[in-house]
Amino acid sequence: MNAIIVSAVFGVLMMFASFLVNNKNVYRYLAIIGLSVLLLANILETYAIWSIKFDSFLQLSFERFGLFFNSIAIAATLFYVLLSGKDIVRVGNYSAEYFVLIFFILCGVSLITSYNSLLMLFLGIEIISIPLYILTGSDKKNLKSNEAALKYFLMGAFSTGLMLMGIALSYGAVGNFGLEGRGVVAFGGSMRVSFLEVAGLLLLFISMSFKASAAPFHFWTPDVYEGAPSVFTSFMATIVKATVFIGMIKLLEARTGIFGPTWQIILPLMIVLTLAIGNITAVFQQSVKRMLAYSSIAQAGFMLFALWSANDMGREGILLYSVAYTLATVGIFAVLVKMKDYTFDGFNGLAAKQPLVAASVAVFVLSLAGIPLTAGFFAKYFMLASAIKSGAGVWLLVVAVVFAAVSVYYYFRLIQAMYFKEGEAEMFEQPTNSFKGMLAIFAVLLIVLGIAPSLLFNYLYF
Amino acid sequence: MSITEILFWFLSALALVGALMVVLSRNPVHSVLWLVATFFAISGHYILMNAQFLAIVNIIVYAGAIMVLFLFVIMLMNLNSEAEPRKSWMMQLAGVLAGGCFMMVLVSLVRQTAELGGKTALVKEGNIGLIKQLGMKLFSEYTVPFEISSVLFLSAMVGAVVIGKKD
Repeated sequence: MNAIIVSAVFGVLMMFASFLVNNKNVYRYLAIIGLSVLLLANILETYAIWSIKFDSFLQLSFERFGLFFNSIAIAATLFYVLLSGKDIVRVGNYSAEYFVLIFFILCGVSLITSYNSLLMLFLGIEIISIPLYILTGSDKKNLKSNEAALKYFLMGAFSTGLMLMGIALSYGAVGNFGLEGRGVVAFGGSMRVSFLEVAGLLLLFISMSFKASAAPFHFWTPDVYEGAPSVFTSFMATIVKATVFIGMIKLLEARTGIFGPTWQIILPLMIVLTLAIGNITAVFQQSVKRMLAYSSIAQAGFMLFALWSANDMGREGILLYSVAYTLATVGIFAVLVKMKDYTFDGFNGLAAKQPLVAASVAVFVLSLAGIPLTAGFFAKYFMLASAIKSGAGVWLLVVAVVFAAVSVYYYFRLIQAMYFKEGEAEMFEQPTNSFKGMLAIFAVLLIVLGIAPSLLFNYLYF
Repeated sequence: MSITEILFWFLSALALVGALMVVLSRNPVHSVLWLVATFFAISGHYILMNAQFLAIVNIIVYAGAIMVLFLFVIMLMNLNSEAEPRKSWMMQLAGVLAGGCFMMVLVSLVRQTAELGGKTALVKEGNIGLIKQLGMKLFSEYTVPFEISSVLFLSAMVGAVVIGKKD
């Protein structure tokens, strides 16, 4: 429970800081200290050294998997603030409040990784959604940001309504909010699942797919990701999205088999649709930001494999995928924020002016495309291998690999622009040495994990 | 038919008609008023199930505060049937298809759910809806979710300040 409580406390502390302190840089340092303490507290709980305990009457259960994902999410947020903290402060007049909202989102993240009742899942999803609506609209003078926030809020409110209805139906069938559900029970002589529960779970699944932007519930994603201030897009496209997948995995593992054989049709269909829509539409984009929005849909398609396989390898895979995808996307966005022109042409000739930045971006892009020797390769490998382990058809893997090849096209356009085209890649400001250093650390991490992914899993088990 | 049964059918009919009229009314103000009627009917159901606290809260918070807010917003925006955007027939068709499929699922769900057969709502019985029982639950079993929801409200409040305050 450390992560839940400490993140909420730091959120409140940041609120006090916002009216007691007037220096914007102090907020950033406070947030960095807060995130470090939060990470430490969560690690202490992971190794059962020290933890705050409240009797939650089995509504929360803390397992190694969830706690480890908490650490990943918190560490990723820490890196994110270290890298783009200055850009967060610059978005609007409420710098401290943005950090408050980020801390609250982390509170929601740690709820979703440890819920044991649907009530907690609902609270967690809401705690991450509402701050995100606000962060999306935080650039108040920008019309696009306003539109994105409104769109996201309306669609999100509808999906929350669906989720509540799903939880209500499931409650009606099971009689409590428990994660476990009833499963197959006798109904007047025949053994089957309760239809109420199936319908409830289906609605719940739809609503969570919306949050994870899996097709066909992805329509909001490109507009919202493009309209939101780039710093916050990078946060919501990575850490939050990975968290929703962890929540989905927990839910579907606890209630396996409830959908019956139809599940073998629904989920592969969703995977193929998500991969196809994400990748093919991304090919036609001229703006790098919009391309990244579609690529995040495509990456969600790969993450859906973990839901389908539902085995230990899938769990390991989703952790590696979260790390690889988060590091790479946060890195690219951090550079993108500094660019004057968000189109591919805006990156022309970046390598000549900023060799280190361009090289890091190239590593990020290679990792997103899943080229060997980067973490992205093993992430995709684990996803597909876990699916084979659970008996996936070969056609599904072929489709996935084909779309991964399609993704190489649009990712490499960025490399091509940076290295092989002449141009003046203009930036708002020259990147500082510490910024370049952080970018290089990101790239090195991606390569290290690409050579030895077991470094990450060691922490899961030991 | 006993008086509770008559009440039950009357309230159910009112809730259904009200909910349908919310969607079908052309005038948004009428929609809101029908929604208020629906909330009252549902509150009546709560009272039938001996959940007075929930009934009162439903009326005060939803039918009272939130609906008044709705009315004000709609009046401020000056919406009327002319301002309604024209939707293409493709969109309408998609909406009808999606909504129809969903309704089919729910109807077949109710028809096929064996455990619902032969069960009726607890009318005039049970004391789970009384304030005392609710309080006992809230401060024992549901303390943690209750406290955590404060984080949710806090973030909504921070958001309201961030979005609403003048720069």
